[in-house]
Amino acid sequence: MERPALTMAGIRKSFPGVVALDGVDLTLQAGEVHVLLGENGAGKSTLMKILAGAYRRDAGEILMQGRPVDIAGPRDARALGIRVIHQELSLVPSLSVAENIFLGAAPSRFGVIDWASLRARAIRLLSDLGVAIDPDAPVNRLALPQRQMVEIAKALADQQSASVLVMDEPTSALTSREVDVLFGLIERLAKRGVAIVYITHRLDEVYRIGHRVTVLRDGRNVSTAMLGDTSVSGLVSMMANRDLADHYPKQPAPIGNELLRAEGLGRAGVLEDISFSIRAGEIVGMAGLMGAGRTDVARAITGADRVDRGRLFVRGRAVSFRAPADAIREGIGLLPEDRKAHGLVALLNVARNIALPQSRKVAGPAGIVPRRAEAALAAPVIRDLRIKATPDQQTRQLSGGNQQKVVLGKWVAGDARIFVFDEPTRGVDIGAKVEIYQLMNRLTAAGAGILMISSELPELLGMSDRILVMHRGRIQAEFTAAAATQERVLSAALGLAGPVLSESPARTARANRVEG
Amino acid sequence: MKARRFGTLIGLVVLCLVLWALTPFFLTVSNLLNIAEQTSINAIVAAGMTFVILSGGIDLSVGSIVALSGVVLGLSLHAGYSPAVALPVMIAAGVLAGATNGLLIDRGRLPPFIVTLGMMSIARGAALLITEGRPISGFEESFRALATARVGFVPAPVLIMATVYLVAHFVLTRTTFGRYVYAIGGNEDAARLSGVRIHLHKPAIYAVSGLTSALAAMILTARLNSAQPIAGTMYELDAIAATVIGGTSLMGGEGTLAGTLIGALIMGVLRNGLNLLGVSSFLQQIVIGGVIVGAVLVDTVLKRPRT
Repeated sequence: MERPALTMAGIRKSFPGVVALDGVDLTLQAGEVHVLLGENGAGKSTLMKILAGAYRRDAGEILMQGRPVDIAGPRDARALGIRVIHQELSLVPSLSVAENIFLGAAPSRFGVIDWASLRARAIRLLSDLGVAIDPDAPVNRLALPQRQMVEIAKALADQQSASVLVMDEPTSALTSREVDVLFGLIERLAKRGVAIVYITHRLDEVYRIGHRVTVLRDGRNVSTAMLGDTSVSGLVSMMANRDLADHYPKQPAPIGNELLRAEGLGRAGVLEDISFSIRAGEIVGMAGLMGAGRTDVARAITGADRVDRGRLFVRGRAVSFRAPADAIREGIGLLPEDRKAHGLVALLNVARNIALPQSRKVAGPAGIVPRRAEAALAAPVIRDLRIKATPDQQTRQLSGGNQQKVVLGKWVAGDARIFVFDEPTRGVDIGAKVEIYQLMNRLTAAGAGILMISSELPELLGMSDRILVMHRGRIQAEFTAAAATQERVLSAALGLAGPVLSESPARTARANRVEG
Repeated sequence: MKARRFGTLIGLVVLCLVLWALTPFFLTVSNLLNIAEQTSINAIVAAGMTFVILSGGIDLSVGSIVALSGVVLGLSLHAGYSPAVALPVMIAAGVLAGATNGLLIDRGRLPPFIVTLGMMSIARGAALLITEGRPISGFEESFRALATARVGFVPAPVLIMATVYLVAHFVLTRTTFGRYVYAIGGNEDAARLSGVRIHLHKPAIYAVSGLTSALAAMILTARLNSAQPIAGTMYELDAIAATVIGGTSLMGGEGTLAGTLIGALIMGVLRNGLNLLGVSSFLQQIVIGGVIVGAVLVDTVLKRPRT
């Protein structure tokens, strides 16, 4: 066997509170399509960002053609012939296709761009890739799949030196015909000797395009194998986390009346026919891959986004939310996925953040806030949630776990009975995690209902009474705690046939209607 | 934050000490009252500007709103209405113009810079249109007292300024509306998800700026004994400068009214002192520009995380 095009050995990377990669190995041969699989947070993106020079590795070796290399930044990666096509497109919308392809590398003489040569090279490159796109069209007039093609053309603009190409979910926006075009292109590139890393969540594609597969889980290698030697179910069970040594302090609470019910919620292109209910004392888990629409469900039932279709009931009464304030009045609290962007006002102190949703109550009818009223409201919350901060401390000075507890505290301090927790334990240390689980127990014991969205399957399985699985904007499956296994939840999240346990009569009725 | 506020205050004190050393005319009661009186109009406009900038916005239309509400006042008085009627009418005009800014920014999702730039031109044009470009001059003594009267030895404009700052400070620090101003400026998304009704409060924030512009127009008209459609030119820049020198972040969410008052006083003291020293008005502009940039530079350096 010839020297591998790329070897990454023992790569380690940690972020404050999290070890993202714990000694990962990856070997690429020239001319192979290497599939990289793993759940959300398994470490795929971090590994590729290290390869692209976006992150610096903490430890480990990178070799190209057997020679050790040091990738200190994106320029180094480019110079080594490493090209990465990211999920988020990086095109300048107002510039033309040709200009985007050669952005920063336009053929020029004395700083003046040689337009004729630029156009000619763009046309040659696009026809070489087998795509029919007008090189003069501005990118903002192209459809998403076409932009994806331009992105790929851009990555290959100086193809002589491209030796490693990373594609991060390139087909998520493509139709099947466009996927065929892309796959044809990938095969041609591989034949030319480019080593391709292909990241996807679509297991059906894996066998069409890939030669070998590497599965990551929790920042470690699970396996690297020839795809011919593996089955879909084998891949799923490799991705699923078997490490159930973690203890989840779930204390089941008596299930009471229905608190919230969604019937057929929909938003064009985002959500379709979302129906579920949350009862008092119940934790309803919600699984799904990134982009499956979980956060959109959370935002729809908390008034953050409007919906086009469907109805929402709180304690059996139909409600309609124009703004989050309306949902809060109905006792619904949202812990957003991104606490920095949506959860905290970082410049305000702990007490004012906790009191913000309760401002009217704290202030009384005249709108005047008594001195120290916010601190008085916040003090018991700070104590109960063991937030390591004083009421007067700016929240931006706190650790991730304490910040998260402040956002939780906003709702615990008020009258919320329905809690929507979007990734409640993301980026917090293990101690704070357990405290958040215990808080959820206390809330359900007091008769609250919780919708918990999480990308951590063990946490979902450990804490939920029921689990809903989202796939491409729909609820793909629903499991009772007893019936849920990592394999079944993951299969449903990947869109592989998942058994829909029709517990709710509404769902069954609708299904029958469709069939009849 | 605390250090920063003291920094501005120390800056003001040092400036006064330097001027005291350089000219015997500076530290006299009459000169200090003169400074306070001259500062009052900019300080009042800057109070409203502080609300807007704290919320993460900007209001370029304040100078034109001063002119528009001023001529509305002048026309009303000349039409024979008493100040008791004319003043509420002109204040309503200022509030309405400000609220329109806020509604367009919020409902239209337009950048505050663009909306208030448009209003700057519209309000100015409206002021010129309804007066046919001519000043409206000559008012009764009872109205002019708003600028000329003294309570004890304190000029009325200084008292009005003090009242505006006391009320505005109370609103900003002790009411839910004040909390929302900081929350919207600090993180509008988080504020909205926490139940703050942005649709209600954004227009209100810009209405406050319209209100203070109208109050400034009231003093200006009384002092000049004339309402001029070209009044208030460049007021927006003085108000922004006072706010920024006072330590309010242009990114929103951070700052105090006390800082803005100190910022306005620094500008007033500087102008007064340079005049006393006989510095040419051309050079004065250069000095004031330098102070604005210098103050923000110090602010940025102080805020930079220590590593």
